Amino acid sequence: MSVQRRPGPAEVVNGIRTERTFKRFTLAQRWEHAFLMVTFTVLVLTGLPQKYFAAWGHQILTTPERLFLVRRIHHIFAVILILEVVYHLGRGIYLLAKRRLPGDIFPTWQDVRDAWQMLKHLTFLSDKKPKFGKYNFEQKFTYWFLFLAIGIMVISGIVLWFPILLTRVLPGGVIPAAQLAHSSEAIAAAIFVVIWHFYHVHVERLNLSIFTGRLNERDVRDYHAEEYERLTGKTVDTEDDTAAASHGQPVQSQERSLDV
Amino acid sequence: MAKISTSVRWLPRFLGLALFGAAAAVLFSLTLTGPSLAEEPNQGTEEYCLSCHGNPDLSMTLPSGEELSLYISPQELSQSVHSPLGIECQACHTEIETYPHPEVGYETRRELSRLYYQSCQKCHSDNYDETQDSFHAEAAEAGNLNAPVCTDCHGAHNVRPPDEPRSHISEICGQCHTQIFESYRDSIHGSALLEEDNPDVPVCTDCHGVHNIHDPRTTQFRIESPELCAGCHADPELMGKYGLSADVYDIYQLSWHGVDVAVFQARWPNLWHNSAVCTDCHGVHDILSTEDSDSRVNPTNLLATCQKCHPDASPNFTGAWTGHYRISLQRTPFVFYTEAFYTSFTPFVLWLSGIYVVLQIVRATVARIRRSL
Repeated sequence: MSVQRRPGPAEVVNGIRTERTFKRFTLAQRWEHAFLMVTFTVLVLTGLPQKYFAAWGHQILTTPERLFLVRRIHHIFAVILILEVVYHLGRGIYLLAKRRLPGDIFPTWQDVRDAWQMLKHLTFLSDKKPKFGKYNFEQKFTYWFLFLAIGIMVISGIVLWFPILLTRVLPGGVIPAAQLAHSSEAIAAAIFVVIWHFYHVHVERLNLSIFTGRLNERDVRDYHAEEYERLTGKTVDTEDDTAAASHGQPVQSQERSLDV
Repeated sequence: MAKISTSVRWLPRFLGLALFGAAAAVLFSLTLTGPSLAEEPNQGTEEYCLSCHGNPDLSMTLPSGEELSLYISPQELSQSVHSPLGIECQACHTEIETYPHPEVGYETRRELSRLYYQSCQKCHSDNYDETQDSFHAEAAEAGNLNAPVCTDCHGAHNVRPPDEPRSHISEICGQCHTQIFESYRDSIHGSALLEEDNPDVPVCTDCHGVHNIHDPRTTQFRIESPELCAGCHADPELMGKYGLSADVYDIYQLSWHGVDVAVFQARWPNLWHNSAVCTDCHGVHDILSTEDSDSRVNPTNLLATCQKCHPDASPNFTGAWTGHYRISLQRTPFVFYTEAFYTSFTPFVLWLSGIYVVLQIVRATVARIRRSL
């Protein structure tokens, strides 16, 4: 892959390329993602055979005991996910109270303009790519889609778990609504993660910064140009690759990078 | 020696002559009795039997001390299904060919019934075999001699088509199952049958089977019971006649209860399950119209019905039940809006995301190709 790519602004000394990286996520955030990833996966895997129980789920959950076991696992991981949500929201509120909550993840009008510019770029109407900040609008969209999805899943899940208790307060109609929402939102979120999130972090480029906590200089420059400019004081040319190549920039495609 | 040998030679001749004489005497006696009974019917015919059994006072005392009337009403007999077809007494009373009758082989009236009903299998072998597999036959085997045999339901000398009128069927069952019949009589099904002779409502045998009646308290019967109800209640034409929805079964199957039941039926038909089947909420023999204030599923009684399985349920809980109705704004607004959200907004966002990713793939591929040129 690295052969195909335009090498980043890394220094090459004696054939060894040293790559500069930028801190992107804190250790706590990386752990949060790990918890989210594991609980989400387990919840989807234990939820699907329950949703499609009549269709094919019963072929896996061949005894009522297995069904109860899967339900138990689903509940345990739901509790872990809820704890993660509580931590996430609690930390957000704490930082907000201290006026230290970073604003990078919140949507702005700039995101709408970026999306429009990106759409023009993708439809070949413009060569220019928008310059993104720390989180581009794709990443913000990922965050907020899943933020709302998990919110819906948690609320509807609690209604389904304690229907008798909750209808002491809430109208009964919320139970079938929660049933429908829990079931539909799960599918929507799973589809979204597969087509949107997996594409952006695995296919478009392998972005492991959520695990390592750091993003290499090339990716920061290419995908977060505005952030790069802010951090380094350099100016980034955001014309796309072909345009850059035709402008006669040196393409050191023969240089092998040392991937560590 | 010689004397003996002549007598031995003579003996067979004498025996032959004696046999011939006896045979001739029998033949002669037949010609004698023939003309003397010319006015009386032939033995073994119905007419002949009725010459005695047509007497209302004819009776006998059984060894058990029970009095058994031997009177057969000629009128009833002539209106039965058998007699007009020429199926006469001896078809069933096979052991009685003539008068005087052979000795009775039974002590009690019940033994008599249990002996004679076996004659039915001569012609009605299919139905007879079915009864042998039935719950009634099981009860008899277990020692309950009151368990019904053919004649208890169909009658003996007065056998008629059992469904003329249709209500007759349920009334027959009610002879023994008195309490169940009473609750059935007041139900929406029973009252329509007994008061209006409605041709569509189920009589006992429509649900329980006819000759092969099985124990309705088994897991299997329970798990299959919704299909039984669906036999009529999912028939749009039939339900249309009474202004009832034929969607009830389909919608039930989508419900929590229905999914559970469907899976248990497919997967674990012999495991007892607690998810509600039709009768758990609507009642069994005492089913009433949902509009009837005594109905278990009438809004006034719904909470108590839910509480049978969900003892801590509060009044709001009944609102969770969408009542066999399709999703609608008026009836189930929460579900309506949720469904609207997931059938319009969510697919829209997902499609948009998908298209965006496809555009990205196209753009990246084009860029890569251009770079490699």
